[in-house]
Amino acid sequence: MSEEPEPMDTDNQKSEKMFTLKKWNAVAMWSWDVECDTCAICRVQVMDACLRCQAESKKDYYGKQDCVVVWGECNHSFHYCCMSLWVKQNNRCPLCQQEWSIQRMGK
Amino acid sequence: MLKERGQLKFEDKWPAMRLIVLKLLRQESVSPAEWQDLFYDVHLVCLWDEKGPSKLKEHLQEDIVQFIKQAQARVLSHREEQALLKAYIAEWRKFFTQCNYLPTPFRQLESSLQGKPATGTANLQTSNNKKGQSEESIVRKLMLDSWNESIFNDIKHRLQESAMKLVHAERNGEAFDSQLVIGVRESYVNLCSSIDDKMQIYRENFEAAYIQSTEMFYKLKGPEQLAANGVQAYMRYADNKLREEEARAQKYLEAGSNAVIQCCVKVLVGNTLPILLAECAPLIKAGETDRLQLMFRLLERVPEGVQPMLTELESHITQAGLADMVAAADIITQDSEKYVERLLELFRKFSMLVHDAFNDDPRFLTARDKAFKAVVNDTTVFKLELNTNKSIGAKSVAPESKCPELLANYCDMLLRRTPLSKRLTSEEIELRLRDVLLVLKYVSNKDVFMRYHKAHLTRRLILDASADSEKEEDMVEWLREVGMPADYVNKLARMFQDIKVSEDLNSQFRVSTTRHDAINIKILNAGAWARGSERVSVSLPVELEDYIPEVEEFYKKKHSGRKLQWYHHMSNGTITFANEVGRFDLDVTTFQMAVLFAWNQRPNEKVSYENLRLATELPDSELRRTLWSLVAFPKLKRQLLVYSPSVTIPKDFTEHTLFWINQEFCLIKNSRPQKRGKINLIGRLQLSTERSQLEDNHSIVQLRILRTQEAIIKILKMRKRITNAALQVELVDILKNMFLPSKKMIKEQLEWLIEHKYMKRDDDDINTFIYMA
Repeated sequence: MSEEPEPMDTDNQKSEKMFTLKKWNAVAMWSWDVECDTCAICRVQVMDACLRCQAESKKDYYGKQDCVVVWGECNHSFHYCCMSLWVKQNNRCPLCQQEWSIQRMGK
Repeated sequence: MLKERGQLKFEDKWPAMRLIVLKLLRQESVSPAEWQDLFYDVHLVCLWDEKGPSKLKEHLQEDIVQFIKQAQARVLSHREEQALLKAYIAEWRKFFTQCNYLPTPFRQLESSLQGKPATGTANLQTSNNKKGQSEESIVRKLMLDSWNESIFNDIKHRLQESAMKLVHAERNGEAFDSQLVIGVRESYVNLCSSIDDKMQIYRENFEAAYIQSTEMFYKLKGPEQLAANGVQAYMRYADNKLREEEARAQKYLEAGSNAVIQCCVKVLVGNTLPILLAECAPLIKAGETDRLQLMFRLLERVPEGVQPMLTELESHITQAGLADMVAAADIITQDSEKYVERLLELFRKFSMLVHDAFNDDPRFLTARDKAFKAVVNDTTVFKLELNTNKSIGAKSVAPESKCPELLANYCDMLLRRTPLSKRLTSEEIELRLRDVLLVLKYVSNKDVFMRYHKAHLTRRLILDASADSEKEEDMVEWLREVGMPADYVNKLARMFQDIKVSEDLNSQFRVSTTRHDAINIKILNAGAWARGSERVSVSLPVELEDYIPEVEEFYKKKHSGRKLQWYHHMSNGTITFANEVGRFDLDVTTFQMAVLFAWNQRPNEKVSYENLRLATELPDSELRRTLWSLVAFPKLKRQLLVYSPSVTIPKDFTEHTLFWINQEFCLIKNSRPQKRGKINLIGRLQLSTERSQLEDNHSIVQLRILRTQEAIIKILKMRKRITNAALQVELVDILKNMFLPSKKMIKEQLEWLIEHKYMKRDDDDINTFIYMA
């Protein structure tokens, strides 16, 4: 019996490889595509909610998603919350003193 | 009229008055008219005769004394003690009643004697009302003092003695009329006419005699009992007697004084304290809760009585606990379930003891807690572990208890889908998790628990291996409740939110593509999951690699400003393996997949280690580890891969070691080969590489250093200046929910902060620190 190939599997084996993928659970991590990990205004890592959001919305789970990052034309990045407060006083980038204008927002 | 009245003399009026007074003293009936006459006459005498009041008082006294003398004669005519007491009490009661009546008609006399002119009854009334009852009437005082001076002083010793004899007889179990003693006591109390201290006569005579006789009695009886019946019986005796004496004191003594009981306690407990205490340790050891309770009740009454018991209890629990742990070290260090259950059993046993024997008295609870802490944080068992477990032994700090790690492992077993969690009901799991939190309370290096717990949670969420997701989130809240640091708990909570966001994303992805049923994606927030962890590069099999661009494309459409990093050491999947025996579903890690797929082109070839390395591009240590999991998986009787030459540890694979697929591979159930089946080869999902595990341990130490510095600065900022001792106390208080800072570390960090000018020592006192902004 064992000498001859099994009739049922011969057809399949031609089309099928020894190992076939059934399911793959791929894991990836996302982070903001920034040059500096820390927000220069609140000194918290940009991946975390800014200091203000952390203090205010401890229970508001989905609030944290909204604490996004903003990039200026100078390519410096901060928490959007931090920056929007900052520009009220001084419309310049806190790092390079260039006129602040938003290049893009994180989403 | 007036003149005639002016002539009115005391002597004219007294004979008539006297008759009424005598009648009153003798408690003979007095008609209302006579009663009124007396009032009037007193009034007249006081008003019209200059010397009236003093004369009136004199004569009144004479008659009272006379009357008392007669009473005394009547009392003393009784020889026998009980009769004497009875007679005295009867006479006294009669007299005392009259003390309330006789003074009333003589109110006028009182105001005259006090030099207040009584101008009218109305005036008199109001002034009397004002004085109220607080001021003793002069006539009453006169009566009581006379009694005191004549009869009482003469026979008080006989009275006391008789009364004490009766009490003594009662202590010896003879019955008698307790009213006699009570009557005597009442006379002592009421007899006192002093306004400042009404209890004076009572206290100085009756109570003193009572205490003395009590003390005498037990000084004799106590040692007798102890010698005759032994300590155990003596404790019962003492306890009974104390309660008896308390009841007796309530009966025979005035309330408000505890002197008798204190005296009894001193004699019965205080004098035998060392003997009683010597009995404590054996009783605790034997778990004799009733006797311990008795002992506690007794010793609680004396100062310094309980403290030695606390010490005994603490040292007993510590010793018993440690002995238990060491005895079971083999099982405990291997099996976290057994360890935790053993620990809990120990806790329950001693908590029960404290509850049953000491009514959960806070002092005993504290002693218990101190002992539990010692047991939980003890490193004896951990040190045993040090020899066998290198990765933990590599920590550069003093050895610590393995307890938090085992606790975290146990939690994992309860929360993950395991044979244990399947066996238990939801309520049982909750109960056990609560138990873990109870033990955790005593752990001093809680930060180690948190680290392990988070790692386990990460594995469960990534592998979708939670038994009950609701319970998972409950656990986070419970950790918050028991005071785990908020930033840590928030991080855990964030992982749950993030996994939900990722699930949404996955279903969107699966809708957007029709082609890929085989793939699930988890795209997680790097900040919440994997800060600082290192990625491992791998060359994916073509089957997997195809998916990558599509996922990235999809993600880019959904989000902007984000970059993706693949964490292939966390990802995993299921593959179907077909060989000559049958078809099997294998749950594998992506690394295992990469290795196995290398044979797809050449199913029957033997491939060298070096070639596998080239094919997978895995780092050396990862490849060795992955291969080892395929050639020596503990649960398999027939392994998936076969290799040659044989080695005992993965390190010994050489680049020429050959590996090939075991075409005879199959699953074996009840010692019979199966043609179909499913097996999980993932084992414990790797979260980081070998190197970063070392770093992991190192980072615990690093984090502790930072936390300590942070806390010191926080305290100094608030206090501005603080002594070393006070600083240490506050520091421990701040940090205790994470870890217990060692003296050495605190000292090092203080030096560092001083060196970097965050603070300085006081010039006059090197043990005081000053904050420098």
